[in-house]
Amino acid sequence: MIWQNIKNAFLSIRSAKLRSALTAVGVVIGVFAVLVMVGVGDGVKADIEGQISNLGTNVLTITSGKLTQSASSSDPKQQKGSGINLASGIGASTLTEADVKTIATTPNVTSSAAFGIISSSVTKDQAVNNSAFVIATTPSYFDIRKLKTSQGSFFTDSDNNKEEFVAVIGADTKQSLFGSEDPIGRPILLRGKQFVVSGVIEKSDAGVSLGANPDDIVIIPINSAIKLTGKNDVFRVIAEVDSEKNVEKVKASLEQSIRSNHSGSDDFSVLTQKELLTTFNSILDILTTFVAAIAAISLLVGGIGIMNIMLVTVSERTKEIGIRKAMGATFGNIMGQFLTESIIISLIGGVIGVLASYLAGLVIANFANITPVYSPIALMSALGASLLIGVVFGTAPAIKAARKHPIQALKSL
Amino acid sequence: MEKNKSEIVIELTKIAKRYDDEAGIYDALKEVELKVKAGEFLAVMGPSGSGKSTLMNIIGLLDRPTAGDFMLDGVDTNTLSDKDLAKLRRDRIGFIFQNFNLLPRLSIMQNVELPLVYEKIKTSERKRRVREVLSEVGLLDKIDSKPNRVSGGQVQRAAIARALINKPSLILADEPTGNLDTKTGIEIMELLKKLNSSGVTIILVTHNPELSHYASRVVEVRDGLLTEKEVKK
Repeated sequence: MIWQNIKNAFLSIRSAKLRSALTAVGVVIGVFAVLVMVGVGDGVKADIEGQISNLGTNVLTITSGKLTQSASSSDPKQQKGSGINLASGIGASTLTEADVKTIATTPNVTSSAAFGIISSSVTKDQAVNNSAFVIATTPSYFDIRKLKTSQGSFFTDSDNNKEEFVAVIGADTKQSLFGSEDPIGRPILLRGKQFVVSGVIEKSDAGVSLGANPDDIVIIPINSAIKLTGKNDVFRVIAEVDSEKNVEKVKASLEQSIRSNHSGSDDFSVLTQKELLTTFNSILDILTTFVAAIAAISLLVGGIGIMNIMLVTVSERTKEIGIRKAMGATFGNIMGQFLTESIIISLIGGVIGVLASYLAGLVIANFANITPVYSPIALMSALGASLLIGVVFGTAPAIKAARKHPIQALKSL
Repeated sequence: MEKNKSEIVIELTKIAKRYDDEAGIYDALKEVELKVKAGEFLAVMGPSGSGKSTLMNIIGLLDRPTAGDFMLDGVDTNTLSDKDLAKLRRDRIGFIFQNFNLLPRLSIMQNVELPLVYEKIKTSERKRRVREVLSEVGLLDKIDSKPNRVSGGQVQRAAIARALINKPSLILADEPTGNLDTKTGIEIMELLKKLNSSGVTIILVTHNPELSHYASRVVEVRDGLLTEKEVKK
């Protein structure tokens, strides 16, 4: 019977090709939209995961604000609130120069770099770059971040100590200010002061980055920045631990000593790369879910389209229903026939949607530097969702068909 | 199919059908009594609007009477659910309509096997039985054709094959020649007569007096009442 229903469904779909195609398009668009959104989200996640693990698993990030619920927190007030307080990471930093010194002198920390963010546009003659991220830090930043130069060299400790106005710029920043010209030894302006470009950072292979473009960046010595702005805001500190197995130990010890610097206040976080990853992932998951939910609305609209067309089909085929009932079809037989039809239309839409999103993935990977990732779970759920749409929106028309009185159905034209 | 000639296939007792709608109350059938024995060829005559279609629908289990009892093969149909009625239509009744009522999208084969599909008979067995009844009505060569590719007479032959496929207790033919030319109509009536002489019980509903010659017994429905007209043999 099921096989017969499927055969009948294809017969009827073929006899109204255009209509069936248009009906399926609704589901195609819905499945496509949801899959692409989730796929791009997962792609970005995989990309960032790669970037963060590239930095090394032995690096700790100390940041202002409470970003994770620390397991080692002994303050009962802190344990009440769970989750991530994103707002606490924004605004004036709570990290101080004393913290920076504490971090640098903590056992097993081989190297550390504090950095601040300078808000300034970058100009060179007529060219203005408003997008670059201006970072003030020490030369150890380059080592911990594993940065390389493609031209020139990084500034040194001696440059920093002498408060030299030198700058290292990212590949995209260089492109926007200098084009194809050689920037080494040439000046750029930060807050109206001249900084001489000493080096250009090799272009990163990262497709995307959360927040800032890693290739649109200007790095200046921290002491020069203090001279420029008159203050020292520590945004974050990155610290390299001698070995991966000491990471948790150092994290605990840093939490303790910084908390005592802050007179017991837990207004900072010490994050391992793994935690950083979790933080980014949880943000991305929220975003992806939200966008996918919006896309799912189009799936719903597709379902309504199916219901609409199935209702029309049922009225058009009233005579057929009458004949089938006269031949002995039961309520269940007729219902099964029309339900199968709506499920098949919806599933065809789902399959095309999956293929289309796969093709879109190839296009996006080519043009947008993000490779969407389609997990088997996402693909199966897409097909499952289209099956469900067929059932949910096909039921009412199928019941309408099955309920038709044989005489009235036979009499209809 | 070969039944005891005295066996009663249909027994209607005080069957009434009342329509009650916006147009008012209308009694299509009033206390109709009818017994049909196995192997009979009964012609139900009567002008249009007499109630003969209503009677046909009730006998065909497509509609339920407002009052009265209807025994089909000894089964009281009043006690049956819609699902049971559907199964009885599938297994015991073969329909032949004036306008053939074949499904245009399906081939002759697929049309004829329809009752067997609902009976969940296996494909190979369905094929065998379809070929059997199609050769009986002389249409085996059109088995894979669509209904719109064959003549009106051939379509009605296919419909007769469909009615025969389940070896029903009776065949209900509602103006089977109404949409056919005279010559083809005669062929169809001859076919029905041949089937009847091989033992199939037939109820023919018609307003055409000429067709009543084929019947072994004629009744007339007029103003919702049934009267015996003629018994041959």
